[in-house]
Amino acid sequence: MTHTLKDGGQVLNVGMLARVEGEGGMHIEIKDRTVVDVQLNIFEPPRFYEGFLRGRHYTEPPDITARICGICPVAYQSASTEAMEVICGVQTTDAIQTMRRLLYCGEWIESHALHIFMLHAPDFLGYESVLEMAEIHGDVVQMALRLKKCGNDLMETVGGRAIHPVNVRVGGFYRMPALADLMALRPALERGLEDALAAVQLVSTFDFPDMEQDYTYVSLRHPDHYPLERGAEVVASTGVRFPVAEIPLHVEEFHVAHSNALHARFDGEPFFVGPLARYTLNFDQLSPRCQEAALSAGLTETCRNPFKSIIVRCVELAYAFEEALRIIDGWTDGHAPSVPTWPRAGEGVGASEAPRGTIWHRYRVNDKGVIEDAQIVPPTSQNQSSIEMDLRTAAQQWVDLDDHALTHRCEAAIRNYDPCISCATHFLDLRVQRS
Amino acid sequence: MSAPDVIVVGVGSPDRGDDAVGAAVASRVDDRYGGRVRVVTREDPTALVQLWEGARVVIVVDAVASGRTPGTVRVIEAGADAPPLPLRAFAATGRGGTHTFGLAGAVALARALGTLPARVVVVGVEAATFAYGPMSPQVSASIGAAAAAVEAELAREGIEATTCA
Repeated sequence: MTHTLKDGGQVLNVGMLARVEGEGGMHIEIKDRTVVDVQLNIFEPPRFYEGFLRGRHYTEPPDITARICGICPVAYQSASTEAMEVICGVQTTDAIQTMRRLLYCGEWIESHALHIFMLHAPDFLGYESVLEMAEIHGDVVQMALRLKKCGNDLMETVGGRAIHPVNVRVGGFYRMPALADLMALRPALERGLEDALAAVQLVSTFDFPDMEQDYTYVSLRHPDHYPLERGAEVVASTGVRFPVAEIPLHVEEFHVAHSNALHARFDGEPFFVGPLARYTLNFDQLSPRCQEAALSAGLTETCRNPFKSIIVRCVELAYAFEEALRIIDGWTDGHAPSVPTWPRAGEGVGASEAPRGTIWHRYRVNDKGVIEDAQIVPPTSQNQSSIEMDLRTAAQQWVDLDDHALTHRCEAAIRNYDPCISCATHFLDLRVQRS
Repeated sequence: MSAPDVIVVGVGSPDRGDDAVGAAVASRVDDRYGGRVRVVTREDPTALVQLWEGARVVIVVDAVASGRTPGTVRVIEAGADAPPLPLRAFAATGRGGTHTFGLAGAVALARALGTLPARVVVVGVEAATFAYGPMSPQVSASIGAAAAAVEAELAREGIEATTCA
């Protein structure tokens, strides 16, 4: 909706930014064809999770923090269990870590399949929503639903529930899934891998706006594999690298007046977490098949066009299927589901790669096992500055488009991040003001 | 013998107050029908689109928020044989995020895909709360009435319960 102001300027309002998770607002101000202000307004009230974790037992965060989000609960569970295990001073077994990775594959499959096809693809195919897309591209939507179901089934088999898994605990799991139940998933996962590889090629044919950004990329990194459920260290495109425990020394949260979600800086600068960062900093850890799929889709080993994140998500989707199959094929029954833990006073940091990017938790626990302080830093809040940077670049680059087309382009620029405002605190009313 | 092309599905999160009513009613129906009809629960509405593909009759029990008195049970025809739901009912679903993709979104998506069963009977129970915690007393007290509405639909399909109410 366009309003004409008394001074001759224009304000463009979109009631709710579509196809993102949660609610918030956007303000873009243009004077004399120059973008002068960009704000991502997250007006959803704070959810105070960190506050009500204080005073709870150290065993509770995996179940409590999983409720923050229905799309990425495993990210919260993985980061919180890792932090608590650091505090308790326990090492889990390889089998437990492997099963955590399998559960995480389920979350990546669910989340990436949803975002790629239901939320993001309509931008490139020119539809308002997946409902309109389904009438013409029914086969693609059917494929998306099949892929999503694979993720749900994996989450249910390993996590006990497709949403908010209940089988995760500090120290491991309550019970290990039976090999027979995992093997039953195999045929669908094999088909899922084929579908995901086809999806890489399909989305690579989309028409991508020409925009490259000089982001500081930050991601977890692990010597053995592409980062999902944990990393051995944090790496940045600036060349900085450090252990996970030192994240709070490098990432500083701060409040801005126009957002109820905390912004963040990495060594004093805006930064970017998520698929593009993971891919660019860990290309060498992808499987040969996924590397080949990425390169044949026209990507290089680095990707700085945020609109091409949809291709990277498809590559990661294929990787998650490959990993799930690899883990199931190597699995045997009889592993202990958990290692015992005892409370110990201390502070610990845990981090994992949520579908949207690095998430980290820091807890301080007393010798009775009671949480005295908690800090939860999800990817969307860390990405707010980069989102605003992209909006500024996109609005300026395409300033001569009409309001409708410019709004659409800006909305798409936000959706590149698969933002979860529900996590950052929850999202979006878009305003472009011209004068 | 189970009717292969009839499904009863309870939708909703068991943690979210009255959203648990779908699963509660499904459980009640399952107890009374002893395998004569396929009864399932789903938390994720996108899962419905695949669940009901190929079925002829689907009875969906879900909590609804329409401004009526909490506990009110309504039966709405939403299948391919019925007229589409009013656009307002899923205005937010297609354009909204997946957090807003509900039953109406699943119906609209299946209709677009051409896989919506001939009959989708929505047994909606008006909710008082979707906050974390137990069901409201009004909705708890309506489980029997909602189960009876499901059973009336099953009876129309010639499927009878194995135990008395």
